[in-house]
Amino acid sequence: MALDPNIINSLTKQIPSLARPQVDKQFRAAFQRVKNEMIAEFLNHPVTIEIKGGIAAKNLSGTLDNITNLFSFIGFDSTSDPTGDIESMLYKTEFKFDRYTNKSIEYSVYIPDAKEIFAATPMPWASGRSWAKGIETGISGLGYYLKVDRENSRSGLGVQSPRKVRKKGVKFNNISYISALIKKYKIKFENLEI
Amino acid sequence: MKAQYQHELMTSFLLWFDNQLLQKGEAYSNQTGVLYYSEDSRLPTSFKSYSSSYKQWVTDSSVTGDINPIIPTSFNGFDRSDDLVFDFENGRVVETGGNFQPDQVLTGTFAIKDFNVYFTNETEEDLILENAFELNSRYGESLSGIAPYDQVVPAVFLNCEYMRNQGFAFGGEDKTTNTVKGVVFAENSYQLDGVLSIFADSARKVIAKIPFSEYPSTEYGDLKGGSYNYTNLSNTYLDTNPYYIEDVTVSKFSEKTTSKIPKGLKIGFIDFEVCTSRFPRS
Repeated sequence: MALDPNIINSLTKQIPSLARPQVDKQFRAAFQRVKNEMIAEFLNHPVTIEIKGGIAAKNLSGTLDNITNLFSFIGFDSTSDPTGDIESMLYKTEFKFDRYTNKSIEYSVYIPDAKEIFAATPMPWASGRSWAKGIETGISGLGYYLKVDRENSRSGLGVQSPRKVRKKGVKFNNISYISALIKKYKIKFENLEI
Repeated sequence: MKAQYQHELMTSFLLWFDNQLLQKGEAYSNQTGVLYYSEDSRLPTSFKSYSSSYKQWVTDSSVTGDINPIIPTSFNGFDRSDDLVFDFENGRVVETGGNFQPDQVLTGTFAIKDFNVYFTNETEEDLILENAFELNSRYGESLSGIAPYDQVVPAVFLNCEYMRNQGFAFGGEDKTTNTVKGVVFAENSYQLDGVLSIFADSARKVIAKIPFSEYPSTEYGDLKGGSYNYTNLSNTYLDTNPYYIEDVTVSKFSEKTTSKIPKGLKIGFIDFEVCTSRFPRS
């Protein structure tokens, strides 16, 4: 005997809510895999590794033709952890239940956008500018040249004379960084299905 | 080489920037004073140059304020019909007919900008740390003419540092974004805050795309046709695919570093993201 279509319809509508605990669990696992992948990609980016390496790092990112490293060039304080702020923001990527739709459950994912990250990454010498954005669009060498001697150097890596350094012609080569990362993982999260 | 996209952008941007500063900030003052005879080896020997104590003079007749800027058209009854060229850029007049003597007395009233505006290709570190700009103070009195050509402060230096094209629509239309950076040299914090405030509020404004050929100045710094009105010029071209200021950030150079800055100047930065849609490959 066939079930009444109204009953079938009613049961079908209940499936998502009945399945939600299990789906939540599976979605969390899938979400966490992508989130971990995103954070790992950020941590393994040459810019992140170089800045985390502090004043002694090599110019792994290739942005400065090996003349100096990003930490010194931007002029970070020797005690600061500039990429730590971005890492914290990426860790705040989260999802929440959004709604039941026909036979499915939808979640919304919060991921910081590039503008939020830029706002949280001020240049040491001009707080309205973002060093993370500067990696993508170009950074002036002011932070580097302002460090005239070791004692006055906020990053600890001094230069003997700004004129002497300028003769070496430190030119900044832009590379993609945060914008590309966020764009890539926004798409990945949008396409996340279980 | 004929004018390219970036030439037009920077020309249009400079004219807009100057107008905004003068109009919104009323960043000018009328000065009455003597023009001093000064040698200029770059000019033909028959030309005689008489410099004021300030540059640049205001050229834009669309600017109005509590007191309107006075754009000079004559000095002591001498005007363009007497072979006078008004070099607004260098704040002087040049007599080209060989009729004046060095002791010719010229006095008059003219509006000067609170901030000179320049294009530059220099890096920020060179502008701030390397250059020893002469301070052409807008306060107090000077009893000599200012030398031509050299850039002086207070000033804003504009530079287009970065340009990128991204796909925008089918058919080859791209969104072109330019990062235009301004370095502001101000005499005091009041001036600096004023400039930064004016341009922080300029996000999401549009700028008319003014053809390169419409740049209002001649090679001698005088006005083509004797006058220039930015509003009229802008209105003529505003409907033709204008530039859009997508984003602006302003910031001050850290106080910690001011010991490195000559003459106690206050420095700030204005970063514009200017975009438009176009067909770069057509």
